[in-house]
Amino acid sequence: MLRYAAGRVLAGIPTLLLVSIFIFSLAHVTPGDPAVLLAGDNATPAQVEEIRSRLHLDLPLWQQFGIWLGDALQFDLGNSIYSGKPVTELIAQRIEPTLVLSLVTLVLTVLIAVPLGAISAWKANSIVDRISMGVAVAGFSIPVFVIAYLLVYFFAVKMRLFPVQGYKWLADGWLTTLNSVTLPSIALAFVFSALIARVTRASVLDALGENYIRTARAKGLGPSRILFIHALKSVGVPVVTVIGIGLATLVGGVVVTESVFNIPGIGRLTVDAVTRRDYPVIQGVILFFSASLILINLLVDLSYAFIDPRIRE
Amino acid sequence: MPRNLIRALGLAVLVATASTASAEETLRLRMNGDVNVLDPISTTNFTIRNASYLMFDTLFAMDETYKVQPQMAEGAEVSDDGLVYTITLRDGLKFHDGSEVTAEDAVVSIKRWGAVDGLGKILFSKTKSIEARDDKTFVITLSEPWGLVLDALGKISSNVPVIMPAEQAAQPASEAVNNPIGSGPYKLLPDEWVPGSVVVLEKFEDYVPRDEPASLAAGGKVAHFDRVEIQYIPDTATAINALIAGEIDWIEEVPADMLMFFDGVETAKTVAAKQSGNSAQLVVNHLNPPFDNPKIRHALQLAVEQTPFMQAAFGDATDTYLECAAVFFCDTTYATDVNTDRVLKREPEAAKKLLEEAGYDGTPVTILHVTDIASQDNFYSVLEPMLKDAGFNVDVQPTDWATVATRRASKESVENGGWNVFFTGWGFVDQSNPMTNVYVSGDCDNAWFGWACSERLQELRKQFAVATSDEEKKKLATEMQEITHDLVSYVPLGQAFPSVGIATDLKGYIDGPVPFFWNLERVN
Repeated sequence: MLRYAAGRVLAGIPTLLLVSIFIFSLAHVTPGDPAVLLAGDNATPAQVEEIRSRLHLDLPLWQQFGIWLGDALQFDLGNSIYSGKPVTELIAQRIEPTLVLSLVTLVLTVLIAVPLGAISAWKANSIVDRISMGVAVAGFSIPVFVIAYLLVYFFAVKMRLFPVQGYKWLADGWLTTLNSVTLPSIALAFVFSALIARVTRASVLDALGENYIRTARAKGLGPSRILFIHALKSVGVPVVTVIGIGLATLVGGVVVTESVFNIPGIGRLTVDAVTRRDYPVIQGVILFFSASLILINLLVDLSYAFIDPRIRE
Repeated sequence: MPRNLIRALGLAVLVATASTASAEETLRLRMNGDVNVLDPISTTNFTIRNASYLMFDTLFAMDETYKVQPQMAEGAEVSDDGLVYTITLRDGLKFHDGSEVTAEDAVVSIKRWGAVDGLGKILFSKTKSIEARDDKTFVITLSEPWGLVLDALGKISSNVPVIMPAEQAAQPASEAVNNPIGSGPYKLLPDEWVPGSVVVLEKFEDYVPRDEPASLAAGGKVAHFDRVEIQYIPDTATAINALIAGEIDWIEEVPADMLMFFDGVETAKTVAAKQSGNSAQLVVNHLNPPFDNPKIRHALQLAVEQTPFMQAAFGDATDTYLECAAVFFCDTTYATDVNTDRVLKREPEAAKKLLEEAGYDGTPVTILHVTDIASQDNFYSVLEPMLKDAGFNVDVQPTDWATVATRRASKESVENGGWNVFFTGWGFVDQSNPMTNVYVSGDCDNAWFGWACSERLQELRKQFAVATSDEEKKKLATEMQEITHDLVSYVPLGQAFPSVGIATDLKGYIDGPVPFFWNLERVN
């Protein structure tokens, strides 16, 4: 198992390198010069040139990439062109909000989507099934920012139950943190649940047609035991796979949600860096996201072994 | 939802309410942009300027009648020949690190500012020497008389000549100071600063305000809050909701289509900021065809009119904008309607005739359509049909602001990365002053983007700098406008008065062209 995991981690390195080259090229071929943005309206061409040379932007692209890669291997992702702070420090400052938001969303999603999908499958084609799948389709179709604004309007502005925006750090108490990420997590979970509920329903539906379920019924087991213990257990692998894939799409959702709810997470950092052509930050966060996805995929693969004993053998 | 989770959420609400109660002395602001640096010399960015006023102080400052008053300075003595300015610092000035503010700090700070600022550069072109005489006094000796020395040092908008410790001010102006130290009413807390999210300042206990009442940037700057947080909330709708819910206290600009959010709201209101008006402009590149031909530039003036642009940006809120073709803003000292006929009237047929006379060969006008700034996006949608209607060929290239901000500096042909026209805006203080208005410099290669060239304009500006009587200044300004509208360094698109959003429990807000937050206090 350990060898398998180590192999997977090593296999991730070329992926990261390819992603780095791709992002580096993409960021640099996009028009827009960070030196000009940084210099401001009254700067002379000489001042702009000075900034360009200070940031190595005057070197050929391959040399710039070489410098960046060399530093990155020593965990130095450079300094932000925009704020002058080290990229590693900026990412470290932003990890907590994104991590908390993603985890709370994941927990909410699993709590909502898995039972919803299972019940829909159990009551397939009934009114319960249609309503819950209708909600799932709506969740997938309505843009996340629309859901976000509606939640803010009702629960924050009208009812004053949660804050409109902002993030409270864990250091100030986990309850205030939870309070500050509740609405953004619900908004994200709404979208995320739709995907997982549909997959759970399809998988459970398949499982319910299997012989061992018929046997369980014949033994006289109750419906909830059949559904949640026998059927659901066997659909763990596809559901966990979809949760893994969903986490990747969650990254996209986090970008929007963090903007609407003004959460200083990595998603916001990415968007801001792109609009400012802050190359070191763009490269840094993409590298971080890629590494995270590789890690998530690895965890998903490893979890198969725990969920399904046949894989262990 | 499990019962424990509901209980946890309920508790969390209680905790959140309690923390709001204890944070009463915090002022929370939302400016238009993010505060990435706190060095108003390294950039002209207005957000940085506004935030910097909280932590830095200036030698002189403009009062509400737009007259310059001493601020950190006790006063200035001017020699009879107008060449020597002796400036003395007032007592009790301290930097946030506890050290005294000295004349040497002031001299080095002014030199740094003079290397980048438009007015500062003029001052230094006329300065023979600037030296500290002792800890409290420094002397500026000019090579020729110039009546605007104190106006320059009391400049209210970018770049504001703020005073920093000499060692920080010794850094080149192109590099932002990293952990800036000011001497203003609020002190930066660097550890709590998260670029792209929040800047935190706390009341500087050792700050000694002047005795006079606050008047715009001048007078006593009394800090009533223990803490000021400048939050970067990129989404405007979120910021407005946060203001209404009492999570923040002030928003720099409420877009016209969101004014209705405040209907029936008791916790917050909007105030049309009359003094902080700004104007919209279409900047024209004189170097590239077709606008290298003056007649075709005149055709451009005839092709557009202001109202549709203002409607596109402000909708039905007609009291928030006005048609204005005055180069130095309407309702100001130098406002005039001379030579504005072509600018205000839209006459496509006359434009077509001019194009024919000028031998327009159909060279397309390349429009770099900025799509990521809402108001500008609307402007481009209005411009395109107007130009086509007047017989111009148009090539629209959708892009983002970062690209335009880079591309507008290019003097190349359009094919090689140059440009024809772009939209921008300038504020009231910058544009109403003939010395800082970028469109009347006529400075050719050294002019602002567009590089309009006129020796007469350069001459008029020189005369204005030494003019003493109001009558003479007005005459010069009027001629500047006449030439500018013939030259077409830009096409004015209207003047607007954006609204600020402010919590109703705040009093003492200073309505000015720059937002100031001293004097402001919460009434309970």
